[in-house]
Amino acid sequence: MRIYPTMKIFAILAVAMFALVQTSMAKEADTIDELVAMFDDSKCAECHEQVYKEWQNSWHSKAIVSSLKGMRNFIAVGLAKEWNTPVTKAEVLKCLDCHAPAVNYASEKLAKELAGLIVTSFDKKDTDEGKKAKAQLARLNVGCYSCHHIKATEVAKGLRGEPKKGVIYTGSDVDAGDAHESIQTVDITRSVFCMQCHGVYKAPDGETIKCNTLSGSYQNTYQNHGGSQTCQECHMKKGHLFPGGHDIETVTEGLGFNVEIAQYQHLPGKIAGVKDKKKWVPSAVVNAFIENKTGHRVPDG
Amino acid sequence: MVLEVTAKNLNVKDPAKAELFKATKTWFEIGLDLDGDMRYGAWQIKETIDLTLPPKNTQQERYIMNFDTDVEEVLVEAKLYYYISGGKGDVIHSVSKTLSYDVD
Repeated sequence: MRIYPTMKIFAILAVAMFALVQTSMAKEADTIDELVAMFDDSKCAECHEQVYKEWQNSWHSKAIVSSLKGMRNFIAVGLAKEWNTPVTKAEVLKCLDCHAPAVNYASEKLAKELAGLIVTSFDKKDTDEGKKAKAQLARLNVGCYSCHHIKATEVAKGLRGEPKKGVIYTGSDVDAGDAHESIQTVDITRSVFCMQCHGVYKAPDGETIKCNTLSGSYQNTYQNHGGSQTCQECHMKKGHLFPGGHDIETVTEGLGFNVEIAQYQHLPGKIAGVKDKKKWVPSAVVNAFIENKTGHRVPDG
Repeated sequence: MVLEVTAKNLNVKDPAKAELFKATKTWFEIGLDLDGDMRYGAWQIKETIDLTLPPKNTQQERYIMNFDTDVEEVLVEAKLYYYISGGKGDVIHSVSKTLSYDVD
């Protein structure tokens, strides 16, 4: 008779465990369609049309398809040949955690498929198969949800916890009404937020991936010399277009160039190889001063 | 990023023969693996040799040019190129000056 309550508890626990597994499984998308639907940025355009247009013209909107070569080489050369390591979601995320953060919510199967699409889209870029693969990959990027939800609490996870379901994290105090719940957070306005990806990436297994090292020169040189502007203060002057090294106007603004050209005549007989050793030698001195006015080293690659 | 400084003899029409002086300075970084071999793959690079222009820093490059005694007119140009993808360089700043010499 006493066994019944125990069995009951076990049964309840089993149901609860099953439900928990189902819930966590439900969080993982098995297809690109499912993944895009989970984080559908086009909904944002309904209210934030201008911001959305800016973002559409940004490099964030093409964060996978603009970097296919590097990612293809990681998969086809790095994993396959150098590390002799199978393609897994954990390995794929060493690229896509930054280039398409939504992939954190992809199933193992989908992550592997994405790796295949990356290789196909680059290796067969002139074929229909390659073009189709690229078109599929173009649906994934660094979108609205990437910064305003998925990565929003990442820099202070201990303090902030996981991002809350359905919540949009913003830097400003805006009431979105019934569209979505908003939480104002200073995190998204700080340089360290951008540095999650625009710096040396540290994967959960400890591997370092050096796509660029902007954060290093920002912290160790710019800030150490008194610099205090944030990434956002310079790179969001054109809103969510995020102009940087690809924008000639931004590059020009970030570099000072002062050149002084002094003309003089060098003493006769002092310069070898001239036609007439008795004549004054036409000469000039050029002094060029190149100033880095940005918050990081130039160039950074 | 590349600084290119040139001097051209304005009295010589053939561009190949007109160049009297050319010098370049390149700012870049070298990605290295743990063996110290130069690498391009982000997964391979663990350290860098930093030959870039640091922030909050002004670097001076100085060039002295001596032309031949019969050179009368020279165009000196300094151009700063930025290479976003390694292949195509854009001129982001340019300064030039024409110098005239009395050769008599």
